[in-house]
Amino acid sequence: MVNDLHDLMHDASRNAPHDLGDIGAVLHRGRSRVRVRRVGIAGGTALAVGAISLVSLGWLNPATGDLTSAQVTRPGGHSVQLSDALPAVEGTDYRLLTSTTNESLDRDNGQRLDGVTDDGLILFRDGPRSGQLFPRFALMDPGTGIKDWLPALDIGQHHTTAVELGEERLVLFSTDSETGGAGNLMASSFDRATRRWSRTTWPGLPSTDRPSMTAGPDGRLYTPIPTTQASPRPGDADGDTFDLWSVSPTDGTDVRDEHLRVGAIGFTDTSLVWTDSTNGATSQVHVRDLTSGVETSFDPQLGEGCDVIDIEVAGEHLSMLQFCGLDDSGLRDDRVQVMTTDGEQVVNALVSGLAYAQLSADGGFLTLMVDGPEAGGTYLYDTTDGRFIKISDATSSWETGGGPSPEDLLLWSTPVNRGHGATTWLGELL
Amino acid sequence: MRDEAAFVEFAHGARERLRRTAYLMCGDWDQASDFVQEGLIRVYVRWPRLERSGGEHAYARKAVVSAFLDHVRRRSSTEIAMEPDSGLAAGLVSGQDVAAQVVTRESLMQSLAALAPRQRACVVLRYFEDLSVVETAALLGCSEGTVKSQTSRALSSLRSMFEDSPQGELTQGIFSW
Repeated sequence: MVNDLHDLMHDASRNAPHDLGDIGAVLHRGRSRVRVRRVGIAGGTALAVGAISLVSLGWLNPATGDLTSAQVTRPGGHSVQLSDALPAVEGTDYRLLTSTTNESLDRDNGQRLDGVTDDGLILFRDGPRSGQLFPRFALMDPGTGIKDWLPALDIGQHHTTAVELGEERLVLFSTDSETGGAGNLMASSFDRATRRWSRTTWPGLPSTDRPSMTAGPDGRLYTPIPTTQASPRPGDADGDTFDLWSVSPTDGTDVRDEHLRVGAIGFTDTSLVWTDSTNGATSQVHVRDLTSGVETSFDPQLGEGCDVIDIEVAGEHLSMLQFCGLDDSGLRDDRVQVMTTDGEQVVNALVSGLAYAQLSADGGFLTLMVDGPEAGGTYLYDTTDGRFIKISDATSSWETGGGPSPEDLLLWSTPVNRGHGATTWLGELL
Repeated sequence: MRDEAAFVEFAHGARERLRRTAYLMCGDWDQASDFVQEGLIRVYVRWPRLERSGGEHAYARKAVVSAFLDHVRRRSSTEIAMEPDSGLAAGLVSGQDVAAQVVTRESLMQSLAALAPRQRACVVLRYFEDLSVVETAALLGCSEGTVKSQTSRALSSLRSMFEDSPQGELTQGIFSW
């Protein structure tokens, strides 16, 4: 008897039992996933949205490089080194969509790509700079380069960071601090249908000198208010802790103390994930199902002597940025440990000179931006199939791009003009 | 504005086919439904750009396959994705009174279950979804050579499994690798 594979497979899958799948549930979880965005600003300087950064460790001024040759203790699980990465091929690994260049950021501020909306338009920011004292914003089509300039945002020269770039509205947040010290958080929302800006402040929310906001799947903005601070940083056993508060992005009276002491937080579309502390020893990761309230915890199995600087949650993945000290030669041991939110290890990226790490919106890719003359560049790790590629051979020291982006779009920057300027690129991952 | 009505229409139309694809890869209809749910959520998130650029069906298929492979990767060290049906296997050997078509169908599913997950995905994409080598490589994020070698190994395994059963010879129809 001869069996044709094509026919057999069609026959074998023909008589399906009743499908219990629910389009309503798809819509509910899809809307939640769209809402989940993570953002953080510190000391008046924006970090890349959805990214975790080691910028605060700059005082260490350590040497950077690949840890391949260093005698660094490897953590458990699958590990990758920068030298494992293969050169990315344009057209195969990614497709360039657009770029913008600032020739001399030494001389003046320039223009930024502040993220990509859910419908694929770039939030383009011009200024503040000479000739453009107050920043102006546009939605730019990456295909044509055409900019739709938005009405003026009356926010002075305060630095804004995008927390939501949706089809219906854009939400930027900032603080009212002029100096980068303690300030009050505020959100500026742009209604794309009416083309109007509105501003929300929350008088009931404690002020903070370490502002950060994370959008939850319920549409609220979650902000950790500092309670204890590690000293020295990092390495204090207790680490930094925060009380978790939440606010409505549009109602200044809707402020809630969540009565939860946390370190770093993140959200999947169904759960809250947090650590006990940051900048210190972290023994447990906690996951709370937002529907049932059921909590589970697991040991993230950090490397020996590693302190968690921050976490990021996207899709069903969790990344933990760690600083694990210096080796005898002064080489910095930075790590990004990726696991699932039920504690299964995915990969440990062993990186020295890490500038920041970022999970894509669905957790499918981990981006590493690395400083340094030898191994510097932008790297990409595919958490699904283990593909590890290098997108660029250098990263700019200027922060000219970053923000919420759809899951398969990537912003990165490279230096120009001997490092005085930068080109910011937007690519689509293939 | 996100056109949810258009998405719902697409989801209703695409769901059955996606579920069949997922079932051939995982061997369980309920699990297949879960992969389709996850795949459709990913489509929903990307929907505005899919409407502008097209490719909804291709992206949905990719999302479902990714959901399956992600699940397998998580469980690869501890769990076999499909449990062989021991009763059926006994039936195959002893030639009990089971309709030949059903036996052949189940034999296929057991043979697929014995393949490595990515081999299974290659076979399903090539011979059920009728994708080319290039399209399969793009969907799985690997080289065309990898698709060819994975498919070749999978077909070789399937052939030998069929040859060792009462179902006889297996061909892959008009397709080549």
